[in-house]
Amino acid sequence: MTSPMNQPAPRDRGRRFRLLTATGAGLLLVPLAAACGSDGAGGSGPIKIGVPAPLSGDSASAGQDILAAAKVAAAEINRAGGVDGRQIEIVQADDQCSAQQGAQAAQKLLNSGVVAVAGGYCSGAAVPAIPIYGRRNVPFVMDASTNPSLTDTGKGKVFRTCGRDDNQGVVAAKFMTGELRAKRIALLHDNTTYAKGLADATADSLKQVGGQVVYEDALQPGQSDYSPVLTKIASTRPDVLYFTGYFAEAGLLMKQRRQLGLKFTLMGGDATTDSTVLKTAGPAADGYIATTAPLAKDLPAAGKFVSAYKSANGADPGPFSVYEYDAVKVVAKAIDDAGSTKGPDITEALHKIANFPGITGPITFDEKGDRTDPLYITVRVRDGAFTAYKKLDKSGATWVDAKTS
Amino acid sequence: MTEFVQYLVNGLTIGAFLSLIALGYSMIYGVVRLINFAHGDVFMIGAFAGFGTLTALGATGGMALPAIVAAVLVGALTTGAVGTGIAKAAYVPLLSSPRLALLISAIGVSLALEEGVKVLTHARFKSYPNALDGGRIFSGAVHVTWGQLALVVLSVVLMAALWLFVTRTMTGTAMRALAMDRDAARLQGINVERLILVTFFIGSLLAGAAGVMYGLYYVQISFGMGFLIGLRAFTAAVLGGIGNLPGTMVAGVAIGLVQSFSAGYVSSRWTDVIIFGLLIAVLALRPTGLFGERVVERA
Repeated sequence: MTSPMNQPAPRDRGRRFRLLTATGAGLLLVPLAAACGSDGAGGSGPIKIGVPAPLSGDSASAGQDILAAAKVAAAEINRAGGVDGRQIEIVQADDQCSAQQGAQAAQKLLNSGVVAVAGGYCSGAAVPAIPIYGRRNVPFVMDASTNPSLTDTGKGKVFRTCGRDDNQGVVAAKFMTGELRAKRIALLHDNTTYAKGLADATADSLKQVGGQVVYEDALQPGQSDYSPVLTKIASTRPDVLYFTGYFAEAGLLMKQRRQLGLKFTLMGGDATTDSTVLKTAGPAADGYIATTAPLAKDLPAAGKFVSAYKSANGADPGPFSVYEYDAVKVVAKAIDDAGSTKGPDITEALHKIANFPGITGPITFDEKGDRTDPLYITVRVRDGAFTAYKKLDKSGATWVDAKTS
Repeated sequence: MTEFVQYLVNGLTIGAFLSLIALGYSMIYGVVRLINFAHGDVFMIGAFAGFGTLTALGATGGMALPAIVAAVLVGALTTGAVGTGIAKAAYVPLLSSPRLALLISAIGVSLALEEGVKVLTHARFKSYPNALDGGRIFSGAVHVTWGQLALVVLSVVLMAALWLFVTRTMTGTAMRALAMDRDAARLQGINVERLILVTFFIGSLLAGAAGVMYGLYYVQISFGMGFLIGLRAFTAAVLGGIGNLPGTMVAGVAIGLVQSFSAGYVSSRWTDVIIFGLLIAVLALRPTGLFGERVVERA
């Protein structure tokens, strides 16, 4: 498999001067970073946990959900007396889902003295951030960045409460060829680290399970009109189109697929289950299927979190809120276990955690920092809402209803 | 073959938007010699004003025609006012300054509008009510919806109205005089400042109408929506010979077709390479644009 690290395209919506400001700010930050040193370790003030997320740009809605979930987790920990008698403080940073801003956000968090980082959304923004945290030995627990390379190259200092796209690709490939009995499959990504990685992983898995990839290409995000791409895909006569990009485009694809009267099944990856797609696509969303880790409302243990989130934010939690909640909780647990706020100690404690009772299931990390149990299921849009659909049974060969268990 | 026709239909729809936005770039460049970088953001403001109107009217899916007309009108008038305000505050005071000052002012306005709307909307997408979903004219091998037809017709009507205004009215004639030579126009008794504001009003009006139509058609709007389409419309304006209105209209449609056909026959990921490659080629080889008839002075 080609390494997604080589993919040059972070999700960059070409904001003017972004590069300039990023470079400029980077230069300014170098002396600052040196001057700030590693304060925050030890002491008696609040313990700072960094949350990078796209708080602006096309993925902002997901980023805001992630930040809100982190705050719910911190509030809960603090109400229970904090960690070692110290309060948890969430420090936010906007990575805008881009590589440049991702690096800048990482630097900002380190400068404000965070002892660990729990967050992130776009894999493309996490790629440059990982070595920045790594050099300072600050552990990074990701809640949503699923590109396989992130933990593969994380040198054991990177963890995630979400799954890996090579696992997701296997599930997607098995679902399309098994449950949907699709022969001809089209893969559409958007050239971001995440989307390209998931499309490649799915293509690899399809080879093994005997599906034919009739189309694999990227759309250009941010242009709203994807009817030409859809027309092109339709000309390859696929049974299923699997879109591995983000929710900003997913709703438009559903809508325009319907406007063009195309008959193939439309599926998407785990970045397409944001409620924005339902509002955008309206009735055209009905029947849309996505591969994803279980959503908050289908997790029996998440009930308390969902109501806490609703009362704090006046809205339902987004798809990755539960994974961010678990990320913050597991970091707090590790700091407590370690009895220290030094990066290497927290990292070691994270590796030792076994069957931590997360709301997304028991959490144990393998030596790379990935969760030991596979997560992915499929969800389907019914009556204007994502509902749990099918999952693989224990044998990994038969699809059963995801609700029953 | 049917795919070719479908690409053509898709491209014409995209082109209808690009033409309307490109006209604003072109008109404003004609009279002020300014590439109004804020124009794409004015388009975005129009989309949000229309969204606000529909929300205020309580319109939901399958909404009535009056609500749509009201949204287009309010959107267009809002951007007309915003555009005029921008010109008065940020451009007119700088008319006698070096051209670079104007350009920087335009970039500043663009960022201010984008960031302002970003803060107001919490950087989230807004979704128009799904109004134009149903209703296909053809639904055999090629699909054409009433929404697409309405869009193309409305933009042709707007462009025709603009053409009549510029060629047949006193104000339009004054505008063309101003585009030729500002000082000479002033000597003829033309109120230059007022006329510049009128130009901004009309250019922004078109962008605002396009913004609301865009929201109705594509549904999903956000603070950053004006950027990419603004750049492509600017390319269309250059391609058509900036300042040359009929050329700009044709070039807008042409860029829409390039976008559609490049996605169909090359790859969608090459679309911007092709479009902006065209921009560079035109600037290098034929700076007056494909249809440019008069030599325009470049900043």
